[in-house]
Amino acid sequence: MPKPSDLLQGTVDLLILRTLSREPLHGWAISKRIQQLSGEVLSVQQGSLYPALHRLEQSGWIDSEWKDTELGRSAKFYALTREGKQQLEREVDSWNRLSSAVGLVLKKA
Amino acid sequence: MILSRPLRVWRQRIRSLVHKDNLDVQLGQEFAFHFEQLVQENIAEGMALTDARLAARRALGNVALLEEQCRDQRRVGWLQDLWQDCRYGVRMMRQSPGFTLIVAISLALGIGANTAILGALRTALLGNVPFPDGNRLVLLRTYPEWNPALSNSASIPDYLAWKQQSRSFESMGASIADHSRDFGAEEDGRPAERIEGHGFAPSLFVTLGVQPLLGRTFTEAEAEIDHPAPVMVLSHRLWQRRFGGDPGVLGKQVRLSGTNLTIIGVMPPDFRYPLAETEYWVPLGINHFQLQGSARFFEVAARLKPGVSVQQAQAEMDGIGDQLARDFPDRHKGWRIRVQTLRDAWYGWMKIPLATLEGAVALVLLIACANIAGLLLARGAARRPEIVMRMALGAGRGRVVRQMLTESVMLSLIGGALGTFVAWGALRALLQMNPPPAAQRMADVVVDLPLLALLGLLSTVTGLIFGIGPAIACFQLDLAGPLKESTRSAGSPYRRNRLQSALVTLQIASALVLLIGSGLLINSFVRLAGFDLNFDPSGLLTFEYRIPQQQYVRNMGVFQGAPYSAIDPSPTPAIQRVYEHLRTMRGPESVAGISHPPVNGLVLSTMSFSIEDRPTPENAADRNTFSAVYFLITPNFFATMKTRLVRGRDLNDFDSASAPWVAIINETMARRFWPGEDPIGKRLMLGVVSGERPREIIGVVRDIPTRRDRSDPLPAIYASYLQQSPAYRGPSANMFGQMTFLLRTSGDPMSLVPEARSAVADVDPDHAITRIQTMEQFWGGGMRDKRILAGVLGVFAFVATILAAIGIYGVMAYSVAERTREIGIRMALGASPGKVLALIGGRAAVLISFGVLFGLAGSLALSQLIASQLWGVQPTDPATFAAVSLLLIAVALLACFVPARRAIRVDPTEALRSE
Repeated sequence: MPKPSDLLQGTVDLLILRTLSREPLHGWAISKRIQQLSGEVLSVQQGSLYPALHRLEQSGWIDSEWKDTELGRSAKFYALTREGKQQLEREVDSWNRLSSAVGLVLKKA
Repeated sequence: MILSRPLRVWRQRIRSLVHKDNLDVQLGQEFAFHFEQLVQENIAEGMALTDARLAARRALGNVALLEEQCRDQRRVGWLQDLWQDCRYGVRMMRQSPGFTLIVAISLALGIGANTAILGALRTALLGNVPFPDGNRLVLLRTYPEWNPALSNSASIPDYLAWKQQSRSFESMGASIADHSRDFGAEEDGRPAERIEGHGFAPSLFVTLGVQPLLGRTFTEAEAEIDHPAPVMVLSHRLWQRRFGGDPGVLGKQVRLSGTNLTIIGVMPPDFRYPLAETEYWVPLGINHFQLQGSARFFEVAARLKPGVSVQQAQAEMDGIGDQLARDFPDRHKGWRIRVQTLRDAWYGWMKIPLATLEGAVALVLLIACANIAGLLLARGAARRPEIVMRMALGAGRGRVVRQMLTESVMLSLIGGALGTFVAWGALRALLQMNPPPAAQRMADVVVDLPLLALLGLLSTVTGLIFGIGPAIACFQLDLAGPLKESTRSAGSPYRRNRLQSALVTLQIASALVLLIGSGLLINSFVRLAGFDLNFDPSGLLTFEYRIPQQQYVRNMGVFQGAPYSAIDPSPTPAIQRVYEHLRTMRGPESVAGISHPPVNGLVLSTMSFSIEDRPTPENAADRNTFSAVYFLITPNFFATMKTRLVRGRDLNDFDSASAPWVAIINETMARRFWPGEDPIGKRLMLGVVSGERPREIIGVVRDIPTRRDRSDPLPAIYASYLQQSPAYRGPSANMFGQMTFLLRTSGDPMSLVPEARSAVADVDPDHAITRIQTMEQFWGGGMRDKRILAGVLGVFAFVATILAAIGIYGVMAYSVAERTREIGIRMALGASPGKVLALIGGRAAVLISFGVLFGLAGSLALSQLIASQLWGVQPTDPATFAAVSLLLIAVALLACFVPARRAIRVDPTEALRSE
């Protein structure tokens, strides 16, 4: 089981990986997308978003490329790598285990 | 691009290092993009441009910090820091080249020597035995219960019983030195040549796991008892030298010492067993007498079955030995079996001298570390403002320590790099050590990759060891103090002073341990070199003339446990012809011969005897005390050796075979058997053989040492080579057919060689003379190792002393510099130079006395370890301890002299004004 501090970090990683699973995005779009998908509940601050992106890139889960946005502005787009997809599956699994376990405790205690 | 993850990670790391600037620009652009998006969002929400920008900037926060956090994810920061530290370290070294040089040289010595000796020790412990699966090869040897330190070979009954009964071994084989054989001079001008070879049981080739290069080795049938087949296998060397590497040599017959042998095989060039000098192999010639004999001359090697340990084999052999002792007490009682790996037998002899040396060089390295730590500490004081500045600017303590450690490790790596050369040189010196009999010279110790790795590791660890103390001491100071004041009167010098004092004490103590150790060894060496030989080794040429044993020894059987041989036809006339002819030479002043070299550690033939009119003791143990080393000599032997006759006369030409038989004994024998009596005129009976006659003692001579390194002389009997019975009981029948001739001259002994060679060839062209050397060379051969050991230790002790002197000089000089102002005030207030000297000298005296005390205590504990290397000196020899301590104290005081003089010459006004 991960320690609580890892949990938080791991959650950001999980959210980023999941968001990137559909299409490559740049940092700004990732934060907007998470905010939007969570119904404006979660907002990943740039203070944790960008270090997380760089860490994931260094770990080889995601790759980056400079591309033009629809508006013709150059931005750094992140995309999931093959191993990143597998990592996402693992993280989703472990998140599901964790949340159902927490749910069980909350229900039964 | 499809890359596996580790590859991708590595690409990232390398990019982070190589394209650092590029990445940093991209990082900036990434945040710029984010910032723009924020601004646009704010505008879209209806803000004015300036407000939107302001809000966006607030939302984004500290971009520099953010960028730093992202950069931290690259995980190469430590590398960049290291690079920075290294560049900084190089700058520091260039600033103080003298310091760097001293450190690098002392480290090169310490690290290099340690590496070399550890490398040699590796060979001693794990050395390569050049046979397939050599780890499973063992030697089976015997030793008498009463002295387990001895190591003997095996007898034939031993060998056969072991081979038959043991289950631990895959195969077993015996070998024995074949009596050297001579190629006669040949018509095409090739001169007579003596070659050394070994008799091999056919199974021994299997045991060792070697195949011949050409032809074949022996079949079991060729080693038939009493009738070994006349075949031989050549060494690669002999094949190249005598036969020009001719592949047609197989099947060729050669005449060796009067016997025709057929060459059936040639071994590969790297096969050298049992000795490096072995040049041929013949089938092991066992005769049926030896089946009953107890003479232990056969070297037995065996190959352990896979999975069987040496201990298991030893346990089995213990059982077999016990059983043999019960079944055949007269042959085996009192003897035990030792299973020893071949590697240990070959290389084990180096362990003790190498361990001694390793102890010494480890101490040198320790002293060097302490010395450098002291220097760094003193330098750290000068660098204090820099360090404090760094810490004030936000460098963590860990970061500062890391930087200091990087610098010290860099220093020690430079030392290590130079140490490679030292290691190379030291290994070459170590390889000069002479192995004892049956052991091997270490040949395959080279500076190889594992050794270099060891050197690197040693350097790094050394750097950390001497760097850590000063690094920590560096930041144990309050930040404000040095910034406020000047560099001069720094925060808390006490902690640093204590560390400095401890380091100097350690250096003095270690240096003293080394000095005492080498002092003891040198003392022992001097005694050994100078002890009274009772003969004059200068101006003596020695060489050996020998008739092969096969030509005159006839095995008659076994009598009372020892082989009984007839000496027939007697080789004496041939020897007499050579002797008489040598006497006609014009060069030498006198000529004599002796059956074994007079100072000889290897082969001593002993002879049992009884004294006329004295009862022979009943029990065997007491009877065994009636034995002495036995030499056959020519007339004038003692005159040629310049050995003084204490009583009686030397042999002369009238002591012929038909004259009354006589003997000369040494002083030890006279003292032991005729205490308080005059032995002259007493009569001895030698051995128990037919044809022996009572011998009258006609002379007593001074003890000639029988071994190079032994002070306790053995009783010895000298008899004329002409007065010998035609029968002999014992293992050394070869003494009748060999003579080591001694030629004394006032000039260079070696100048006699050509004349002596041709004189022998005139009489006997078929037997070349061998082992030609001066007596001084012969005597010095065994001394060389001790000289090397003592010399090397002496060099290390010298280096250690110099390092310790530098150490104490550094501390005292620093202390005087630090207290200049205080001294100035004291002198201004009227302190005399004597008082000032006492002030400064007091600390030096304390340091030196503590160092010497600890050193003496350490030496008392450690000198026991070299006790086995000492000769004629106690490991706690008070004279050595005292002399060496005084020497070290004198050197240390000398090192304090310059700082002390500087202290009393302090000009008070100058000192006070400078503040």
